[in-house]
Amino acid sequence: MKLERLWGSSPFKSHYDAVMIGGGIHGLATAYFLAKEHGMKNVAVIERRYVGFGGSGRNTAIVRANQRSQGNVRLYDEGLKLWATLIRDLDFNMMFYNCGNLNTFHSEAAQGAARLAVSTAQMCGVKSELLDRKQCKELIPVLNVEDNIKYPVMGGMYHPPGGIVRHDAVAWGLAKGAARHGVHIHQNTEVTGMDIEKGKIVGIRTDRGSIKSPRVLVCAGGWGALLAQMAGIALPLHPLTIQAMVTQPLKPVLHHVISSGAYHVYANQTLKGEIATGAHMDPWPNYTTNTTPHYFKHQGEALVELLPFLRGVKFMRHWAGIADMTPDMAPIMHGNDPVEGLYLDVGWGYFGFKSGPITGKYMAEYMANAKRPEILSPFSLRRFEEFRPTGETAGAFSYGPWN
Amino acid sequence: MSYTITCPICGKRDLYEFRFGNEEQGPAPDQEGLTPRAYSDAVQMHKAVGGPQKEWWYHRDGCGVWFTVWRNTLTGRETNESGDIS
Repeated sequence: MKLERLWGSSPFKSHYDAVMIGGGIHGLATAYFLAKEHGMKNVAVIERRYVGFGGSGRNTAIVRANQRSQGNVRLYDEGLKLWATLIRDLDFNMMFYNCGNLNTFHSEAAQGAARLAVSTAQMCGVKSELLDRKQCKELIPVLNVEDNIKYPVMGGMYHPPGGIVRHDAVAWGLAKGAARHGVHIHQNTEVTGMDIEKGKIVGIRTDRGSIKSPRVLVCAGGWGALLAQMAGIALPLHPLTIQAMVTQPLKPVLHHVISSGAYHVYANQTLKGEIATGAHMDPWPNYTTNTTPHYFKHQGEALVELLPFLRGVKFMRHWAGIADMTPDMAPIMHGNDPVEGLYLDVGWGYFGFKSGPITGKYMAEYMANAKRPEILSPFSLRRFEEFRPTGETAGAFSYGPWN
Repeated sequence: MSYTITCPICGKRDLYEFRFGNEEQGPAPDQEGLTPRAYSDAVQMHKAVGGPQKEWWYHRDGCGVWFTVWRNTLTGRETNESGDIS
């Protein structure tokens, strides 16, 4: 059998109708939808390293739609529903496993926040419910709900439609689909500058030559702030390293995504059997992807308290990515301001994976019509100077036993 | 891999003993004629430098002093002002 490449190489042209800076899920999805639904056939994706090098291939693959604010839930809910359609349209198995998410709380403050999040979800028509301690144990028998740990489980927020999606497959499937619709994917190409004339973007410069384009999208994940700086735009972003690791493979034992704000831990068992677990962010800015023993220790301590069967199990691999955090933990999707033709899709923090394809769909609409789709209205860059944050930071993860 | 920065009182210590207190942003903006946008720029918009930057740190698990250091955000390492490892 002759194996075919998922996408071929394309000639490096000097003019494109639209250019995406960043060959991750967001850029590939936007290019895919521009080509497929808006008839834009002269589109390029510029990637400094390789497709899926950044956050797209470094996240813990969790998808869910139980955020705190309505604007977010609406977008992520559509995002959850899009996976099935996307998998069919791309004819690429992304291994979507909607096993459901349980987010435990360990204090009355967090319980109150969870109750508000559940109400928001239910108002938006998203399945989400509060479970007490006993129900948590019934749902996940391996969960420790006893009082013998630092932060005993009080209950949880159960969100059945969430789950995990194979993140590499998403990046590769979108790249394949975009290329099939004529999108040029240029890997190993670094953007070094932007050309702006009279307040309009006219092109970008790369280490392989200049490209003229009237539409440029910054969708470079953790490196978004550096690219916006090339256009003279300051953003309210902190690039923070966030670490993750997997254990050795085990028999199927954990059938849901489990997360805890108080312990700063989230975990799921992959279809290979490994327990994939992520930590909190290093709280100082870095454009690095280094891991530290601090978090191996932290993850180990948190996991054996919540999931005691993991005691003695070994971590096999560890890695890190960059989360570009905004002050209100909600993304920025903004265009034509202050530079006409320049679009921003940044500030996703650690929410970039679950939102990738749906954001691509709406950013494509935004770029094709030069008009912000209604669903993206909460995510303007101008909300910060209006001091109208989205309210996302009031989520249950912000409240611990210390509140 | 472990990271350190140098506390002016305690010397070189593990980075996780410290709390990050934001990049050095210069003096607070003049209150006179201050617009919401200018105020937002001053307090919310970051330089998010890729390279050496001057930043504030607090020795939370140590002597409790606030101080500034230069650190390279592309390597995570403390540097001097010109970006060389100090």
